[in-house]
Amino acid sequence: MSTLQHLDDHIIARYTAQPARLPPELRRQIESAWQGAPVQLYALADLDQSLRLTETWVALGPRHLAVARRAGEGWEIRSVERRLIQAVREAPGLSANTLTILGTPDEPALALVRYTHRQRRAFENIRFVLEEQLEGSAREIPGMDADRVYAESIARPIREAQALISGRQTAVIRRLLGYLKPYRRQLTLGMTAATVITLVSLIPPYLAGYLIDRVVRPAQAGTLPLSRAITIAWLAVMAMALVYLVKQAAAYVRLRLMAILGEWVARDLRDELYEHIQRLSLAFFSRKRTGSLITRVSADTDRLWEFLAFGIVDVSLSLVMLAGLGTVLLTLDWRLGLVMTLPVPALCWVIYRHGENISRLFIRAWRKWSRVTDVLSDTIPGIRVVKAFNQEQREIGRFGERNEDVTAEFNRIHASWTTFWPLLVLAVHAMTITVWVFAVPRLLGSGAHLPVGTFVSFLLYTTMFLAPIDVIGQMARTINRATTSAHRVFEVLDTEPEVRDVAEPVRLEPVHGRVTFDHVVFGYDGVRQVLRGVSFDAAPGELIGLVGPSGGGKTTIVNLIARFYDVTGGTIRIDGVDIRRLDTGHFRRQIGMVLQDPYLFHGTVLENIRYGLPDAPLGQVIAAAQAANAHDFITKLQHGYDTVVGERGHTLSGGERQRVSIARAILHNPRILILDEATSSVDTETEREIQQALERLVAGRTVFAIAHRLSTLRKASRLFVIEEGRLAEHGTHAELLSRPEGKYRRLYELQLQLA
Amino acid sequence: MESTLIRRSINALTLEWRADGSLWAMREGEERAVSVRRCFPWSEPTRHLSLRDEDEEEFALVRDPAELDARSRAALEMALAVAGFVFEVTRVLEIEEEVEIRRWRVETKQGPRTFQTRLDDWPRLLPHGGLLIRDLAGDLYHLAKTEDLDKQSRELLWAFVD
Repeated sequence: MSTLQHLDDHIIARYTAQPARLPPELRRQIESAWQGAPVQLYALADLDQSLRLTETWVALGPRHLAVARRAGEGWEIRSVERRLIQAVREAPGLSANTLTILGTPDEPALALVRYTHRQRRAFENIRFVLEEQLEGSAREIPGMDADRVYAESIARPIREAQALISGRQTAVIRRLLGYLKPYRRQLTLGMTAATVITLVSLIPPYLAGYLIDRVVRPAQAGTLPLSRAITIAWLAVMAMALVYLVKQAAAYVRLRLMAILGEWVARDLRDELYEHIQRLSLAFFSRKRTGSLITRVSADTDRLWEFLAFGIVDVSLSLVMLAGLGTVLLTLDWRLGLVMTLPVPALCWVIYRHGENISRLFIRAWRKWSRVTDVLSDTIPGIRVVKAFNQEQREIGRFGERNEDVTAEFNRIHASWTTFWPLLVLAVHAMTITVWVFAVPRLLGSGAHLPVGTFVSFLLYTTMFLAPIDVIGQMARTINRATTSAHRVFEVLDTEPEVRDVAEPVRLEPVHGRVTFDHVVFGYDGVRQVLRGVSFDAAPGELIGLVGPSGGGKTTIVNLIARFYDVTGGTIRIDGVDIRRLDTGHFRRQIGMVLQDPYLFHGTVLENIRYGLPDAPLGQVIAAAQAANAHDFITKLQHGYDTVVGERGHTLSGGERQRVSIARAILHNPRILILDEATSSVDTETEREIQQALERLVAGRTVFAIAHRLSTLRKASRLFVIEEGRLAEHGTHAELLSRPEGKYRRLYELQLQLA
Repeated sequence: MESTLIRRSINALTLEWRADGSLWAMREGEERAVSVRRCFPWSEPTRHLSLRDEDEEEFALVRDPAELDARSRAALEMALAVAGFVFEVTRVLEIEEEVEIRRWRVETKQGPRTFQTRLDDWPRLLPHGGLLIRDLAGDLYHLAKTEDLDKQSRELLWAFVD
C-alpha cells in the first residue's frame, strides 16, 4: 500500500466516521453476482430517500452497476447492466446531491441515490465513466485501484487543508530534535550551562539559612568565637558572590549558545524547505495556497527557532527546578515541605485550565479580528467603487462597529489574565502564609524544633516556585504550537516531486525541437481525462497554433510539453526521445514561455531580462530588448535598464511587462517556445508591437501558440483545434477555412461577426 | 417590468414528479427535467426559485410557489426538500483544534456527524438568525437557535457566536 493511500485511509478513519473502503464481503458478493468481473469504481451514498444518514454503496464494473443497501445484517444488492443505461443525471443541492441513472424513457429510474458533498467526488468519477460510455467513447479502466480512487476522493479536501499527519507528537518532536545533531557540542554546552543556572539558583537560600543557624545564632549565643564566625560569614558571602557570578556566566553561555543554535537550525530548515519547494511539481503548488507555503518558510521556522532556543530548555529545566526545589524543601523540613509541594500539581492544572480558557477567548477575538480585516481587504483594494457609490460614511461606520467589537473582545482577554495572575500569586502567597502558620509555633518552641535559618531558607525557596510552575502549566501549549509548525514544515519536506528524472537521464545536445505526441492521455486526478488520446508531430521550426474552447486541453498540452506533469497514457517524444527519459533541468533550459500575464520578479529590468542567463553581456540584453520592441520604453525610464520594476513588475504597464518577458525569452534563446495568450490583454497598438516582437522571437524555433484571437495565428504553419481533450481538426489557416462545416471555420466566422 | 417578465415565465407552468424520479417542468408545450435552485437560500428560502435543466439553463423562475397549482406546488416542495437540505445540528459534542483544521463532532437530525473546517473559516451568521457552518467538503450545517441548545453545546459554541 502506498504512503498516500495509507494516509488517506488514516484520514477517513480519523475524520469521517465512514468506511475506508467497500466492505470486503460486499465486494465479494457483488463480484460474484457479476460472474467474477471486478469492481472498478465505487462510492458511498450516505443519505437515504428521506435524507437521513445511511450506508448505500454504488459499485461500477466493466459491464454492470450495482446498488447495495443495508438489509438487516446483510446487503440487498441490485445490479443493472451498463448497456441499459441511457442517461445519467446529477442534481446538486446545498448539501444533498441526487444521482439518477435512467434506462428506457418514462420508465422508473434504474437507480436513484442521494449523497452529501463529501461523497460527491467519488460519484463524479462514476458519472464521468458512464457519460463517456453514453457518448460512445467508453474506455476500459485498466488496473485502476478502486480503493485508492475512493479513499483519495474522500480524504482529499482534508489532506489539502491540513498538513500531513506525519506521526505522533513525540515522533515529530524526536524528528525535530534530529536537526540539533550537527550542533551537539553547542547543545551540550548550552544545556550544561542551563543546568548550572538551575542548580546554583538553589544555593543562595541554603547559604542564608546556614549563615543564620551555624554562624549568626551561635555567635550571638557565644558558642562560636566571633573571629571564626566572621571568617565563615565572609566565606559564605564570597561563596554567594561566586554563585551569582557563575550563574550569570552560565546564563550568558546558555542564552548566547541556544539563541544562535536555534537560528542555525531554523536556517537549515528554511534552506532545506526552500530547496525542496523548488524541486516539487506544479501539482503540489496547485494544491497548496501560496500564503500557506510562505508562512511555512517564514513564520513556522521562526516559531521552531523559539522552541529550540528556549522552549525545550525552559520546559526541561523547569521540571528540574521543581524537582530540585521539592527535594530541597522536603529535606530541609518535610512538614513544611509538604505544605509547599502538595499544591504544585493543582497550580499547574489551574494554569493549564487558564490557558484553555484564554484560547477560547482568543478564538472569539480572532473571529472578530477577521471581520475587521475583511472590511480592510474589501474596501482598500475596492476604494474606487466605494467612492463611486459614495459609500465612505457607511464603510467608516462598518469599520468602527467591528473595531469596537474586537476591542471589547481583547479587553475581555485582558480582564481574564489580569485577574488570573494576581490570584495565582495570591495562592502562592497563601501557601507561604500556611508555612508561617505551621512554622511560627515551632519557631517559638512548640512542636518539632525548627531552626530559624532553615525557615529563612524555606521562605527564600518559596519565592522561586512561581516561574517553573508557569512554564510547566503552559508546556502543553508550547509543545502543541511547535509540533503544529513542525507538521507543516515536515509535510512539505515529505512530499515527493511527482515529476522525477530517471537514473541516467538523457541530455539532448543540441535540441532540434521536434515534438511528438503519441496517443497522449492525461488527467489531473487519474480518472477524469483532460486529454483523450492526442497525437501529432511538430517538426523543428514549425509554428503550431492551438485553438479551441476554454477547458478543451490547450494549456494542458503546453504544460505537458514543458514536463510540468507526466502523461498518464501514451508518450511525448522530443527529437524522438521519450520526455520522461530526459534530464528535466537541461530540457527546460531549452524551453521558453511567454504567458498571458507575464511574471516579473522584484528587481531591475536588467535582472528580469537576464533571469535565465544571469551572465549575459549587456550588449546582448539590449539586442534582445530591441528585438522585443522594449528598448525604447526602457531607455525612457529614469533609471533605464536599472529601473526597479517592483513586486510582479507592477510599476510597468501590461504591454511593457509583456515586452520585457519577450526580451527575456529572446535572450534565453529556447529551441521550443510556448506562447500562452501572449497578446490577449493589451490594446491594439501594443498588440501590434508585441506581435512584431513575437515574429522575431519565433523565427527558427518550434513554437506552440495558444490564442483565442484567431487573427494572431494566421502565420502559423499549422493550426490544431483542441476540443474536449481531442485534436478535433488540424491544418493550415487556409485549409481549415476551406472546410464548410469545420469547427475552425465556425470559430473564425463567429469572431469576424463580433469584430 | 421585471415582475411582468417573471409572471410571463410562470404562466401555465406546471410541475410533476415522474416515474424516473425527476422533477419535470412543462410550459407551452415544452417539458424538461429540472432541478430547483433557491435564489435566496437564507434571506428568502421559500420564494424566487430557479428551475434549471440538465445544462444548467434556467427553464423558469418561480417568484412565489403560491402562484402554482396545488399539484405543482406539492411537487416543487418535494424537490425543495432535497435541494435545500442541510444538516440540522441539534447538539455539539466536541470542537477541537488540530493542525490547520478545526474538528467538529455533532449530533444532527439526520444522525451523528464529524466534520472539519479550516481554522480561519468562521461560522456564518444568517440573516434571520442561526449559524451556518461549511465543512471542508462543502457540506452545510445549520444551527437554528443556538440559545435553545443544551448547556455543553452553548459553551462549546460560545467562541463562535456573537
